Amino acid sequence: MRPIHAVLAGVGALVLAGLSPARAATEIEFWHAMSGALGERVEEIVRKFNDSQKDYVVKAIAKGSYDEVLNGTIAAYRAKRQPEIVQSNERSFLTMVNSGAIIPTAELMAQQGYKVDWSNFIKPVVSYYAVDGKLQAMPFNSSTPILFYNRDHFKAAGFDKPGATWQELEPQLDAIKAKGVSKCAMVLPGDYEWSFLENYSAVNDIPYATKRNGMDGLDTSFVFNKGKLVGQVERMKRLVGSGVMQIAGQGVIPVQLFTSGECSTIIASTAAHAAVVAAARFEWSAAELPYEQGVSPKNSVIGGAALWTLKGHTPEKYKAVAAFYNFLAQTDTQVWWHQATGYVPVTVAAYEAAKAQGYYDKNPTRALAVLQLMRGTPSDNSLGFRIGNSNQINVAIMEEVSAAFLGRKPVQQALDEAVNRGNEALRRYEQLNAGKK
Amino acid sequence: MPARNSGSLAVPAGAGALAPRRPATRRPLPAAGTGEAESGLKRAHFDDWRLPFWLLAPQLFILLLFFFIPSVRALLQAFQLTDPFGATTQWVGLQNFERLFRSGVYWSSVQVTLAFTLAQNILTLSAALVLAFATNHIARGRGAYRTILLLPYAIAPAIAGIMLAFLFNPRVGPVAHLLQGLGLDWDPNRNSGHALALIVMAASWNHICYNYIFLVAALLSVPQSILESAYLDGAGPIQRFLRISLPMIAPTLFFLVVINFVYGLFETFAIVDATTRGGPAGATSILVYKVYQDGFVTLDLGSSAAQSVVLMALALALTFAQFRFIERRVNYSV
Repeated sequence: MRPIHAVLAGVGALVLAGLSPARAATEIEFWHAMSGALGERVEEIVRKFNDSQKDYVVKAIAKGSYDEVLNGTIAAYRAKRQPEIVQSNERSFLTMVNSGAIIPTAELMAQQGYKVDWSNFIKPVVSYYAVDGKLQAMPFNSSTPILFYNRDHFKAAGFDKPGATWQELEPQLDAIKAKGVSKCAMVLPGDYEWSFLENYSAVNDIPYATKRNGMDGLDTSFVFNKGKLVGQVERMKRLVGSGVMQIAGQGVIPVQLFTSGECSTIIASTAAHAAVVAAARFEWSAAELPYEQGVSPKNSVIGGAALWTLKGHTPEKYKAVAAFYNFLAQTDTQVWWHQATGYVPVTVAAYEAAKAQGYYDKNPTRALAVLQLMRGTPSDNSLGFRIGNSNQINVAIMEEVSAAFLGRKPVQQALDEAVNRGNEALRRYEQLNAGKK
Repeated sequence: MPARNSGSLAVPAGAGALAPRRPATRRPLPAAGTGEAESGLKRAHFDDWRLPFWLLAPQLFILLLFFFIPSVRALLQAFQLTDPFGATTQWVGLQNFERLFRSGVYWSSVQVTLAFTLAQNILTLSAALVLAFATNHIARGRGAYRTILLLPYAIAPAIAGIMLAFLFNPRVGPVAHLLQGLGLDWDPNRNSGHALALIVMAASWNHICYNYIFLVAALLSVPQSILESAYLDGAGPIQRFLRISLPMIAPTLFFLVVINFVYGLFETFAIVDATTRGGPAGATSILVYKVYQDGFVTLDLGSSAAQSVVLMALALALTFAQFRFIERRVNYSV
């Protein structure tokens, strides 16, 4: 029945469109989670699309944080008032895929007759958002963590730049504090489970969860409570305990403590470029993520978000959605977005174009994230993460890990409990979604 | 919901008690009602069910919409495992409750909640008492004094929370710097005791004014003649306050204790969210915040619903206790 309905609706829409004298543009809604400068960039990219053609109008609506956007979308979907496009962060991938509420992007683009060369997309981006090689969501704002540092502080402490490995970096941070250059040699980012744990395991090529971090099935289990990751949490504990790494706390955004010159380094998303460029009144630079001595580092994994197409709208609306995605995938759009926001371009072509412009010669730190994402061949441990109930698990892991580095629990015990709590949520997800991917 | 005891007009039953009411401190009422007295009262006022029904309808409608329907849904959801989008729903019996009661995190949240509500109650009530006592002994500028004290009540809890979080932020907060200057290693981002103290302060600060209004009114209703005779007998202001006023405003005190518990248990979510977000490491994740976090942040709807059912039961128990044990012992006819 559905296809027939769709055809009828389509015909109806065409008749109506033919009858009305001045063809009205199809309007679609796009709910997003970008605020501040990034929110303005979203408005701008949407305006660019709207101005580029006459048939479709995209309305961008900011709905708060990622959590709030997802909540709003769920409520709207249940009330049958969902938008056509919604931005959702990378860790909500399985929630969205198995929601029964979305149209996979690859399917949509094929239906609407767009030929997109997905092989041109940057690998860790595609591998994160694709199931069986088919892209489920449109990659929009992809980032990866890098190390921002205050060059003045490093010089004052007698260093040229941060060391590439943790073994080189740690004594430098200690020295910055000991020499009184800064009371805060590093500030803990709010999303440390992403930059300090998940990306750490990818870069150092250690398993975080079984079944290639969940890529091979819902019967995955966490295994990060042994080996190098325990050492990493011990390291965080030492850095926090000695006051070398400070916690920004409620009401203060960690990046602000870096841009104000108070803290010497921060491991943050490459999208922090926008804030750093705007506010830092000192000489700053950035470096790739530190890794363990003796390891040949793998690619890091992405963060950020993708655009999901929600079911329940007329074919005319999906034409507009596809046209918008097609616009986003254009090299020009990607180059502009990359330079205006600090997010990575999602296609290799866009990276090459920016390089040909000489953009990275002038802004060397902007290339870091792309290079880090494209470094080497992704291993089973660096493809990405496919974790069900990820929001629950995220909160549980952060709670346990912070209990460990605050000294409220022994590190091993905290990680064991994090693994147990995480696995319990994974099993519940498996129970609910039995038979799905 | 327990049947409402007719002995009091003070507080409506059930979780409806969340909307605070002023206790009828001065109106003498018949003792805990016999059925006959009650029906006599009704008969005297209404001949027919229609008028009372329509008079009650708006309130009932609001209760239905915002209390009964959500309660029933929460009750159902507590026995389900469901996908956030509603794609899949499974009935899982008591699994959600079992998981809850087995979870160490939940029990530590219970402990934190107990500590928080108790501390908040004591701090709020004692601070409000001191301020109310002072009101009666201020000769000049009483209006300004009262206005300043009442102002915090007009401030949204979220704003209060953010302000306190900022003032006490160990890196940038002026009050935190003051404390550090005094030699205290103040850091609510790392020290769970400090974080708990912070939300107790924020919650109390926001709620002191509410207590204050009731206490000032209650103190005014203490008969002047008794105070004067005590004065003539040579009792000082503090002695008069402790020996005469305090026992006479006992009903208000009890009422406020219950209201403060209800406030601490059910209405402090915004403060916690704005001040500590339940951190560090879950150290300030009180029960009502956990309901929000599990339901709306982590989308664990089953567990969140089970937790709300437990909280609902707690609200009923509190109300029941209030009617059965406290109201009977308090003499309302001041």
